[in-house]
This record gives sequence, structure tokens and C-alpha cells, in this order.
Amino acid sequence: MWSYIVRRLLLGIPTLLGVTIIIFGLLHLAPGDPINAMLPPDAPQEVVQMIREQMGFNKPLPVQYWRWLKRVAVGDFGNSIATRRPVLSDLREALGNTFMLAISAACLGFTLGVGLGTTAAFAQGGWLDKVASATAIAGVSLPHYWVAILLIIIFSVELNWLPAMGIRSTSGATSAWDLAQHMILPTVALSLIPMGVIMRMTRSSVLEILSQEFVMTLRAKGLWSRTITRHVVKNAAPPVLTLMGLQFGYLLGGSVLVETVFSWPGSGFLLNLSIFQRDVPVLQGVILVLAAFFVILNLCVDILHSVIDPRIRRT
Amino acid sequence: MADIVLPEYAPNVTPDLLEGPAGRPMSYWQLVGWRLRRDKVTLAAAGVILLIVSSAVLAPYLAPYDPFQGSIRLRLARIGSAGHLLGTDEQGRDMFTRLLYGGRMSLVAGVTPVFIALLTGSTLGIIAGYLGGRVNMLIMRLMDIFYAFPSVLLAIAISGALGAGLGNTIIALSIVFTPPITRLAESVTTQVRAWEFMEAARASGAGTLAIIRHQMIANVLGPIFVYATTLVSVSVIIASGLSFLGLGVSPPHAEWGLMLNTLRQSIYVNTWVPALPGVMIFLTSMAFNLLSDGLRDAMDVRL
Amino acid sequence: MDGMGKRGRGAVRRVLGAMGVGLLGLMLSWTAARAQSGRGGTLRIGMTAADIAYTAGQPDQGFEGFRFVGFPLYDALVRWDLSQGERLPDIVPGLAESWEVDPADVQRWLFKLRRGVKFHDGSDFNADAVIWNWDKIRNKDAPQYDVKQAGEIAFRIAVIKSYRKLDDYTVEFTTTRPSSFVPFQVVYVLYSSPAHWEKVGRNWQAFATNPSGTGPFKLTRLVPRERAEYEANMEYWDKNRVPKADKVILLPMPEVTTRLAALRTGQVDWIEVPPPDAIPTLRQAGFQIFLRSYPHVWPYSLNLKAAPWDNKLVRQAANYAIDREGLCKSLLNDTCTPATGIVYPGHPWFGHPKQTYSYDLKKAKDLMKQAGYDGKRVRTSFLISTSGSGQMLPLPMNEYVQENLREIGIDVDLLPIEWNTLTVWGRKGFVEEHAQTGALNISYNFVEPFSAFVRFFHSASVPPRSVNITGYINPEADRLIEAAEASFEAQVRDDTLGKLHEQLIDDAPWIFVVHDLNPRAMSPKVKGFVPPQSWFVDLSLPWVEK
Repeated sequence: MWSYIVRRLLLGIPTLLGVTIIIFGLLHLAPGDPINAMLPPDAPQEVVQMIREQMGFNKPLPVQYWRWLKRVAVGDFGNSIATRRPVLSDLREALGNTFMLAISAACLGFTLGVGLGTTAAFAQGGWLDKVASATAIAGVSLPHYWVAILLIIIFSVELNWLPAMGIRSTSGATSAWDLAQHMILPTVALSLIPMGVIMRMTRSSVLEILSQEFVMTLRAKGLWSRTITRHVVKNAAPPVLTLMGLQFGYLLGGSVLVETVFSWPGSGFLLNLSIFQRDVPVLQGVILVLAAFFVILNLCVDILHSVIDPRIRRT
Repeated sequence: MADIVLPEYAPNVTPDLLEGPAGRPMSYWQLVGWRLRRDKVTLAAAGVILLIVSSAVLAPYLAPYDPFQGSIRLRLARIGSAGHLLGTDEQGRDMFTRLLYGGRMSLVAGVTPVFIALLTGSTLGIIAGYLGGRVNMLIMRLMDIFYAFPSVLLAIAISGALGAGLGNTIIALSIVFTPPITRLAESVTTQVRAWEFMEAARASGAGTLAIIRHQMIANVLGPIFVYATTLVSVSVIIASGLSFLGLGVSPPHAEWGLMLNTLRQSIYVNTWVPALPGVMIFLTSMAFNLLSDGLRDAMDVRL
Repeated sequence: MDGMGKRGRGAVRRVLGAMGVGLLGLMLSWTAARAQSGRGGTLRIGMTAADIAYTAGQPDQGFEGFRFVGFPLYDALVRWDLSQGERLPDIVPGLAESWEVDPADVQRWLFKLRRGVKFHDGSDFNADAVIWNWDKIRNKDAPQYDVKQAGEIAFRIAVIKSYRKLDDYTVEFTTTRPSSFVPFQVVYVLYSSPAHWEKVGRNWQAFATNPSGTGPFKLTRLVPRERAEYEANMEYWDKNRVPKADKVILLPMPEVTTRLAALRTGQVDWIEVPPPDAIPTLRQAGFQIFLRSYPHVWPYSLNLKAAPWDNKLVRQAANYAIDREGLCKSLLNDTCTPATGIVYPGHPWFGHPKQTYSYDLKKAKDLMKQAGYDGKRVRTSFLISTSGSGQMLPLPMNEYVQENLREIGIDVDLLPIEWNTLTVWGRKGFVEEHAQTGALNISYNFVEPFSAFVRFFHSASVPPRSVNITGYINPEADRLIEAAEASFEAQVRDDTLGKLHEQLIDDAPWIFVVHDLNPRAMSPKVKGFVPPQSWFVDLSLPWVEK
């Protein structure tokens, strides 16, 4: 088992390198470079050239990449080109904000998903099943950024129950209650997709167990006990749990649209901004950290899966 | 794309002859067809898709107006206005017409990348699974790199690099969807390859070519195809999300995501018209989801 | 009372009545006075920017950076007087009390600095500080040289050749050629505290989080991408401009619907650029809407080397084919005015142009016929952005213009790209893959003669020197520009520029479309704000009522 883990982690390194090379390449493929983005639109080309030289951006790509890599290896992610602030501190804060949102959306989405899924499985074929299934499908079919806008209009502008944007009150309050209020709408918008996905998996997973001969018999006879409940949970859980792990990854990485609509200062917002500004150090840093996280997450999910389901051999 | 669902797949040797309803012997495909015919929800979903697709294709004949001509004086007319059943957009163009034409762009942007990814992904995956060894390692590690990106971000990054436009959106999304399909294809091919199904199937009395074709289709292409159809709904949403950010289709073309983008500022003047493209995305996505669910159940693909 | 009798009681009543009226009058005038000259409150502003501009000195983000970060935290030697909006702002003394050109050598300028000015950290402002700051943006070998700040300001001060301290409160500048434009250039150079820079460890990044300038506001808190908090500098050297508000909070809100929602729910008091469609409902709900002409123009820069734009008649035809009033009224809800030139009518440089560019389809079609396009349709392409500062609503506006031009036989392909990428082409011009593209749609400012005319229409301004991307070469225009620059008398200069403007309108290297009116929306509690005819605002004027 340990050799497997170590091997996977080691294999993760070339993956991460590959990720950074791709992003670096994409950024430089895109017309416009960080210097262009940083200077006012009025500035003529010769000023752009001059600054580019002074900041070392006229060196060939592989050279620039290698220099970046060397610094990252010792933990120096460099400074943002646009703001001159160290990438790591921006990153820490942004990721923290996204984590907050991701965790609460995960809690909401997973709880609802499991609840609806089990209900649907037990009420299979009935109207409850249909309603729950319809909710789940709606969750994965709705464009969540559009739902976010609708939520703002209904709950913020029309009803004025909740704030429309940001992570804390504009007047600078820092209470937990204030934070919670700001989290509600984005959490709901973000939790739709995980809710739908988890619900469907839970439903099919639980159904599979319920359709086992002996379980069906016991249900038909009206005999249900804790043992059976445990049996259902233990056997239905594995695929659901692994899927939860994967969905958490989605929440971390796919929150960019919701964060943009709510002006939530998370990593998605930061990434969008840095793509727009061609802010290479920030982009590289964020992508690297996110990718590293995914590699580890994937690894954990795979380990979990193989531990729970011994049928799957790991060579 | 750790976020694109890719569960474990456990293929099973599909007998040549299956027991259909009332004990009648049927071939696999006959059984699939029978199941589909009885699944009302899937049929309805297929019907909706057919309706949306055909209205998109027949848009020039069905649309009462030109999607590019608008009368500024009539901008943002309400639903049910005279002459404009679904109102007009911010340039005064008829919404019904724009939604019909928008369907063309959105469907193309949704289906084409999945189709391309299906071709490239299956090819890569089947090759990797069949050949094994170094080739497998190379292909799968390459896919791992892309797999470490969240799909939305990868799409944004690629679109940002290539520029806006329908073609670039299709390229970006094809790149985004190829790795998961490759992974699935490799997984099923590896497992199928490991069987001694030749002996097992021969024991049931069928010819070699028929066996291969049958097992391949049922156990390899089947799951891949069903999985791909689940991706269509995701693709429609991401494509419209890109247009929403300004990276997708360019104006003045009609595309649902782009329309959501340009109309969202008008939401305070006229609440319902800006919601219409969102409704269309929702319906299309939902229909594809239901269809793929139904196909999965009918083909007995245990995904 | 009893002993007073009827007459006595009447008298008392009259006195009491008079006192009552007097008291009432006093109260009324006191309230009125308070309404005119109140102060206090926290002003929360929702900006269109996605992040707070660079706070160390020269800001980034172009003019937006100056508007909310540069000018509030720092001062320049001269400043725009933004306290009125009836006419264009004047340049008035700032950190310099006076300045003059040396009559013996018109390339030499002397600035006399104000005494008694202190930076926020308490250190003195003097000629040494001025030289130190110019080294910061010009002298690569100086330890305080900040390449970022240098890049931001370099092209704006191109005409300044050298700088020298004459004594503690006098500074001398020399120019590369005789230029009356010097005050328009030094207005953008801001002064950071050298002493404070030493104290924070000679590090610009540390300085940015804890800056020290001479401006009316001090930065108290900076949370990247989230907020910047200012407090009023009560020791500000200009006693007339000590801020009326106690605090200002800047909040980046790039998403327009979010900004609007924030204003309507009371999360902010002031937003930049509300969606034009929402303005009527905002007015109904009691919000203040401010609109004012300012030096902004939204044109198409035409590729004079590609057909059909190489033909002057076609260019004029296109200008006659645009229904500008319709555009402003319908799409933009009156938040813009028609542009028939680079500057707007009433501007001192407008002149008396022959071509009026009213909406005249017949004239447009006639011109097309004269140009040789009778019945023949012509195809061209416009490079546009999907968003961007000053670009207003690029997609719908471009579609509108596309419709207009279709009427006279010009079929336009719109090529939308990211704003960032568009600025690249805005600098490079019509080269490489865009050599045949018909036009670029970038909005511009015309704050001073250089940004209005010189950079676009002088033959020496072709890229990479500057941004004459249309390729407009006209010796007459060159002559007028040089004459204006060499003229140190404002009236003569304005008249010369007026003649230049007439020439440019006639030659039509641009399709002029609209001037933005800088829409802002504020809660009724914000008082004292005056929208100037400028890209900048004076944040020391407004306050927030309780």
C-alpha cells in the first residue's frame, strides 16, 4: 500500500510540471502579455518594449519558464506583475475564501443529495421519487451563473433579505454573522450541481442494494433492523463517497463563474482576473497549487476506493 | 476535470441471447429497443431534443423575422407583445427568432465538441488499453495532466489563448472533454482485453467476428457512448458560460449564452425576456440528461 | 400678565410672535446652511475596476487609477480644479505655488514650490523630494527607481528632458522642444515620501500597503481585490480641500448587475457606470443620477490604407450614416451625446467645421455614389472589445452601428476580442494579421492637446513612437500641431487647435460616434458632489448625511 502511495505521489510531479508547462504555453500563445495589460491603453509600443526589457520579459520562453521553476522549487512564487504583491499571500487568502464557499456548498449539496437520493431510492417509482429525481436533474441542468443572478435579484434587490455581493459588509464589519449572510446566496448557487450529481449516485447506489434478494424479501415482510440499515449504508456508501471527493474538487476549481457574479474574492475570481491581466506569476502559482491539490485529492479518492472495495486490485 | 464524473465501470460478458419479456429470447439490441419504447420519460426527452434540434435546423423557415434585424424603438418589448410573442431583445430583435437561431449555435457548440472528443478519446483510450505497456503509460500520463485542471478553468484558459469565436470554443471544449473519455475507454478496454471471453462466448455457440463485434460494442463502445451523452448537457452549459464571459460566439450571432450576457443588464427593465435563453439552456441540458439516463438504463450499462 | 390689560397682552403676543418668527427663520437658515456645508459620514464607492489601483505613487489602471487612488492620496505640482462642472476644469497651483517659462529660453520652466507642506508621515515636502520622485520614474540607476511606476507615466511626460533643483523650493525643468503643454504633463506626476520609503525598508511593495503622500486622504487599510479604506487628512495643506467625509471606502465591483444590486440594497452609496437601462428605475427610487460631458470620445479608428476607408468620401459617408441620437436615446438611455468630432461642441478646440455629420442617409448614399460604390456593396471588418474601461456597451453599440452602415451598402464583420488584446492592436496598429482590418473601436480621452491630437494625427506619431495607427499623414495638420505647441498664449493655442479640428473632421480618419456622459448613481444621502467635466473627481467635496 505504501509503495503504491509513494509511487503515485512521485508520478504526480511530472503531472504538475506538465500542468505548469501547459499554462505557461497557453498564456504566451494568447496575444498580449503582462506588460501590455499592466500599462494604460494610451501607452505607445515603445514604452511597452522598454518596460518589457527592463522586467525581463523579452527573454525566450524556455528561459523565463526555467527561471520561474527554479524559484518555485525553493518556495518563492514571486510577485504579481499587476500588483507587485507576493503571489503566496494573495493565493492563501483567495484559496481560503474559496475553501469557505466550497465547504459550505459541499455540506449543503451533499446533505441534500444524500437525503433526496435515499428518499428516492426507498420510494422508487412513486411520486416522491419522481420529484426528487426531477430536482436532481434540474440541479445539473441549470446554468448556475444564471441562477446566481436570479438569486441576487430575488433575495437581494427585491426582498432585500441578503447582501448582493462581496464577502463582508461594505462598512467593514467582521462578525461571523455578517460573513454567514454573505455566504448564503453563493453557497446555494454553487451547491446545485453537487446536489444533483450526488443525489443521482446515491439513488442508484442505494437502489442496487435494495434490489438484492434478501433485502427485498425483508422489506416485503416489513422486517427492518439496524443491521440492515448498516448493510445498506456500508455497501451503498463507497461510490457515493468517492464521488463526493471528486465533486469537492469541482467546487474548488469550478467556482469561477459564481465568484465573478458575486464579486467573491476567491481563487476563481483571482484566476479570471489574472488570465485577463496575463499575470503570469499569479496564474502559475494558483494553477500549480490547485493542481497539486487535485493530484492529492485524486490519490485519496483512489485509495479510499480500493480500501473499501477490495475487488479492485491495485498493481 | 476531476469534477467531470467518471465512476468505475464493471463490464459484463453480454450473452448473445437474452431473456426478454415473457421469456422470449431477444438479441441485445432488440432488448434495448424494447426497453426504450417502454420508458416514457426517455421518449419524452428524446422528443424534446428532436423538437429543439429540428426547430434549430428549420430556423430559417420557422422564424418570423430576421435574427439580425431589429427595430430599436421596439427594444425590450414584453412577452406577448403585438407581433412578438416572446418579446424583443435589447436591439429590438424578435426573441422567438433569436432563440431559434440561438439553438443552432448552442447545439453546435454543445454537441460538436463531445462528438470530436468521443472520436479522439475513444481512439486514444482503446489504443492505450489494447496496447498496454509504455504506450499506455504515455497516453494516460498525458491525459492526467489535463485531468488535473478544473474543466471550466481549462476551457477559459484555452479560449483566452485562442480567442473568441465558435470554432475556438469547439476546440477548447474538445480538449476539455477528451481526457475523461480517454480514461473511460482505456479502463473498459483493459478490462475487456483481460478476459477469456473468446472461450466463454464460443461456448455459447457464436462466430468469432460476431463475438468481437458484439462484446466490443456492448462493453466498450456502449459505455463510452452513454458517457458521452451525459457530457453533452455539461458542454451546453460550459459553452454558454464561455459566451457569458465574452469568450464564445461573437455578436451579432444569436447564441443562448451570449444572449444571457447581453440581456442581463436589462433585467431591471423587463424581468422575463432576459430569462428566456436561460430557460432554453436548462431545457436542452435537462433533455440530454434524461435521454442519457434512459439510454444507460436501456443498454444495461452499469455506469 | 394680569396687570397688563388688553393692550399689554397684545404687545406680549406680538413680541412672542416676532420671536417665534425669528426663531423659525433662524432654524430654517441653520438647516439650509447645514445642507450646504455639512460634513462627516463614510462614503462607500462601488468602482468598475476589478482591483484597487497601485497605491505606491504613480497608479496603474490608467485614468481610473488617478481618479480613485492617485489624486486622493497624492498631489502633483499643479492640479485640475474639479469643484465646478459648468466649464472645462482649469489647471491651478498644487504643490507648486507658481510656475513660469523663462522668457529668455522657452525650453526652460521654473516651478516655485509651496512651503509648509508635509507628507502623511510628517516629513517635509521640498525640492529634494521632487527630484527624488523624478529619479524614481526616470533614473534607472537610482535605488528608488520603480520600473512599474516608470512605465505608467513615461509617455505622459515625454516632452520633459531634464529636471534640476535650483534651491530648496525651486525646481527647473527643460523640454525637448518648445512646448506649452508642460503643465498638462506634470499634472500627472505624483510625489511619494522619500523619508517614508526609507523607513519601510526601501521596498515599494511595503510602501504600497502603507503609503505616504501629501494628498487629502490617507490610506488606512488595503485588502487586495476587496477594499481600500481612506480617512480624511485633517492636516491637509490646502485648507479649502480638507475632505468633508470622514472616511472613504473603495470597493472593486467589475460585474455591472452586482454593482447595481449593491447600490439598491444600500451596501454602497455611490456606483460608477450603472447599467443605462436601470437609470429610470433608479431615478424613481430616489437615487441621484449624475451625467456630465467629459473629454471622452467613442470612435472607430479607420485603416486609411485599406479599402474602402482609403477614400475620403466613403469615410464622410459613414459619418453621415450613423443615427447617433437614436443610439443615445434608445440603447444608452441618454447617457451619451452624439460625437461629430473628436471634441464636443462648446469645447474651446471645436472650431467651426464644415461637415456637420448629422444623421443624413440621403447624403451618405450620395457620397457613396460619388465615391464609386453606386449599387456595389463593400465588406469590411471592425476589431472590437467585449468590455473595457471607457468602452461603454461595446457589443450592442457595435451591432447598432453595423445596422446603420448596412443601410448604405457597407457590410461590417464584427471581430470581438478581449479588451487586453485590443489594446495590443491599439498600440501596434493595422499590421500583421490585421493589415486589412477596417477599423479599431477604442475609446479615447482628450484631456490635453497631446492626448487629443498629437498622438493620433502627427506624422511623427506612428507606432512605435506613439499611436497614430490610422496612418494619417497631413503636413497641414503637422504644422498646426507644432504651432499650437509652440504657442504660449492660451487663446492663440485654442484657436489653432480649433482649425486643426476642422481639418480633421473634414478628413474623417475616424468615424465619430458618441461622447459618454460618465453616468454615476448615488444614494440621496450623498451631498456636495459636483460632477466635473473631467475623468477625475474631487473626493474631498462630498459627504454622507446620516
